Amino acid sequence: MIDRLTAALRRSRADYTEIRVERTWSTAVTFRGRRLESVTASEDQGGFVRALSRGAGWGVASFTSLERLEAMVSRAHDLSRAVHVETPIRLADVAPQRADALLDLDGDVRGVSLAEKKRLLEAYNGAMLAVSDRIVDTLASYRDEVSEYWFVNSDGTGLHELRPEVTLSGTAVARRDGTIEKGLESVGLRRGWNSVQDGIAGFRTAAERAVRLLDAPTVKGGTYPVILDPELAGVFIHEAFGHLSEADFVYENPQARAMMTLGRRFGKPLLHVGDNGAAPGLRGTLPFDDEGTPTQDTPLITEGILVGRLHSRETAATMGERPTGNARAVSFRHAPIVRMTNTYIGKGRGTFADLIGDVKLGVYACSAFGGQTLLENFSFTAAYGHMIRDGQVAELVKDVVLAGNLFQTLDRIDHIAGDFRWNQMGGGCGKGGQYPLPVTEGAPHVRIEEALVGGDVPA
Amino acid sequence: MIDRLLEQARRRADGGADALWRRVERTSVAFEWGRLKGAGVTEETGVSLRVRHGGRVGVAGTTAADASLDHLIARALASADLGEAVDLAFPPRAPLPSVPTYFDRAGEASLDDLIRMGRGLLDGLARDGCRVNVAVERETAETRVANSAGAASHYRSTALAVSADVWRIAGDDVLVLGDACEGADVPSDAALQAIVRSVNTRLDRALTVVSPPEGSLPVVFTPAGLAALLLPVTQALSGKAVLQGISPLGGKVGQAAVFDAAFSLRDDPTCAGRPASRPSDDECVPSRVTPLVERGVVRRFIYDLETAARAKTQSTGHGQRGIFGKPVPGYTNLILASQPDSSNVGAQHAAPLPLGGGLVRDIQDGLLVDELIGVGQGNVIGGAFSHPVALAYRIERGEITGRVKEAAVAGNVYELWKRVGGFGSDARWTGSRYAPSVLLQGVSVARR
Repeated sequence: MIDRLTAALRRSRADYTEIRVERTWSTAVTFRGRRLESVTASEDQGGFVRALSRGAGWGVASFTSLERLEAMVSRAHDLSRAVHVETPIRLADVAPQRADALLDLDGDVRGVSLAEKKRLLEAYNGAMLAVSDRIVDTLASYRDEVSEYWFVNSDGTGLHELRPEVTLSGTAVARRDGTIEKGLESVGLRRGWNSVQDGIAGFRTAAERAVRLLDAPTVKGGTYPVILDPELAGVFIHEAFGHLSEADFVYENPQARAMMTLGRRFGKPLLHVGDNGAAPGLRGTLPFDDEGTPTQDTPLITEGILVGRLHSRETAATMGERPTGNARAVSFRHAPIVRMTNTYIGKGRGTFADLIGDVKLGVYACSAFGGQTLLENFSFTAAYGHMIRDGQVAELVKDVVLAGNLFQTLDRIDHIAGDFRWNQMGGGCGKGGQYPLPVTEGAPHVRIEEALVGGDVPA
Repeated sequence: MIDRLLEQARRRADGGADALWRRVERTSVAFEWGRLKGAGVTEETGVSLRVRHGGRVGVAGTTAADASLDHLIARALASADLGEAVDLAFPPRAPLPSVPTYFDRAGEASLDDLIRMGRGLLDGLARDGCRVNVAVERETAETRVANSAGAASHYRSTALAVSADVWRIAGDDVLVLGDACEGADVPSDAALQAIVRSVNTRLDRALTVVSPPEGSLPVVFTPAGLAALLLPVTQALSGKAVLQGISPLGGKVGQAAVFDAAFSLRDDPTCAGRPASRPSDDECVPSRVTPLVERGVVRRFIYDLETAARAKTQSTGHGQRGIFGKPVPGYTNLILASQPDSSNVGAQHAAPLPLGGGLVRDIQDGLLVDELIGVGQGNVIGGAFSHPVALAYRIERGEITGRVKEAAVAGNVYELWKRVGGFGSDARWTGSRYAPSVLLQGVSVARR
């Protein structure tokens, strides 16, 4: 395949051309309540060409029929030439890469029968249903894939990879009269069948939590010291800060660039944030991004100061910085854009007990139902929470919604524990119509000295 | 291809089969931060097969052009082998309504035409201290759906979407607002001008930041701002949620006063000029209007074939399927109106002015909400919501006095829809939803 792509590349008349081809085998099983909803096996394949000509813009073409490869290379060139740009598009240099990187398949999912996958999920789903007769509904899904990936560009890079992925998720719905509560479990790994054999406890815990939430009071709205568990802290740093560090947001926007000037203070000296696409064994990890740039650990905030950002070759060239290996595409249907990989808040000191020891009244916000940011404003819904009273974890509370301003909130992080952990969840990140991109988040327990907790907004 | 596939599938699956074949071509241009950046094309073909064998249903899909039909059928049968029994019958051939879905002007628009549309928007929106992103995308598609009971539907369609957003960053104050226009045909100059006016008006009003009000207040939700208030309702009106027992509207069909008498909602897959319109759904069920709520009374839930079979009712023609999954119930064009059969639904965007559709002038102290943060998070279907505002304006003595930043709105959707204070005169399409601004009383507004 590499030879075929290289031959097509040679015929391109553009100044820069890249070709990506993917072939993905995937299976999925879904249970809803006691009923098996679906079992499917799919095959998806296609290619992507991107071309750039001097004085012109990007021309891109994606296609499912590989017979169209040569035609699409020439189409991408034509499209590029049809787009006149005033400022030339430049790409930062990246040394040509050659690799045949076959990631560890860890039990190739293609060798496991659909029936076995169904049995596994049936057991996990059954564990949720068995928790209580208050569990009125569940949704459990299993999905795996192996994607064979080829990439070549006219700078001499040629890559071939085999990328595995497996995700499991469970939602348990508990109901009593008009009250409905949910518990979630989610696992996402860049691994294979062997890695998902011991997941049953997480599903059971999710269902137990949904039942317990039926009796939990809604958190009283107000301003509190808030402790984020590592999962919510990870989602927070990804959503609220990570997206601002993607250079495509700032590279051609002077006002945004001013807001994100390197050297600006974003937090207290204890705050360290980074993005590491090369961290071993994580879902957001790959040897190269989708422009053929090697991935790396990129510090974003060091001792509270903004020190870096995430780049593609184009954003790096425009800003006179170095590519960081963060140009990623969700599939052959899309162009690579600047994305996160494995984003983290660095490890601090001490234990969780140290964080809450001097908190008289606070909220311990755990796990995430979801989060959205609109630039400097964010809103996160914790899956559940606990009150903290006199330095101790107290009663379970629900409807914990954190809302606030990013800059203020980062600056109010006043304690970071030493219990760092990566959260290997399913789902993925969405941006510019590209979803779900496999990413990972990691953090220790983090304390915000003061944050607004909504939920019960007083009338 | 689909005929041969069904012919072969029928011989191996004792309960029949249906299939969807779709070919999509897309051309797009993108202006980033005020500059034309690139152009792209997409060509995608895929086929999705569903079989019923031994009373069980299985699906399989592929985009591989060289995939053997044999292999696809084998995968669908393997999926059925593990599936649960469902009494699903493929519908027989039936007359389909004539719904115009292909518009030559859209289908034949050149790359230069698309670039020209984008430039026009960019010029109309340019202003100091702001950056503008514009995207223009044209899609042409061909869809074939057929089943072993003899039903078939074949149509070509076009869609053209233009969107723009303006970013204004002043210090740490980030203001983003945009608008979009989607149709099956090329947008008229008036429709493009309406986007420019809508963005500029809201931007002008947003330059002054004022302190938010607080308490239980009248709040006007614009057609875009309504998303948070309609999402729980549409989730609850899906037959699938009803079947699962998680819909607060399950069992309420025909009951009086579930919603305000001014609340009517319908789904219309036959609307002229809308990209979601089609002669049949993706399971060969003919398109027709589904009244969901009429004058406050719940009339019907939406169903696809499988959900209908499980609920022992008929499909309402809402089967939607991609290449890789099985069909699921989904809406087409949702229309919110004060009358169940108001017929003056335009194909394009109505002029979106004045902001609030005339509902602002009688409000002494309140809020106008255009966008909220976090819609869709949490336990949506239950109806309780609490969202910080992304874009909202303060109303004082009948006038919009400025943008509010640090505010959150909360309430229960089912309670709020019992007391509609009024519908605005600014009904328009926002995506595939047609609705005016709506005034709701007693919405909880908090400062933060």
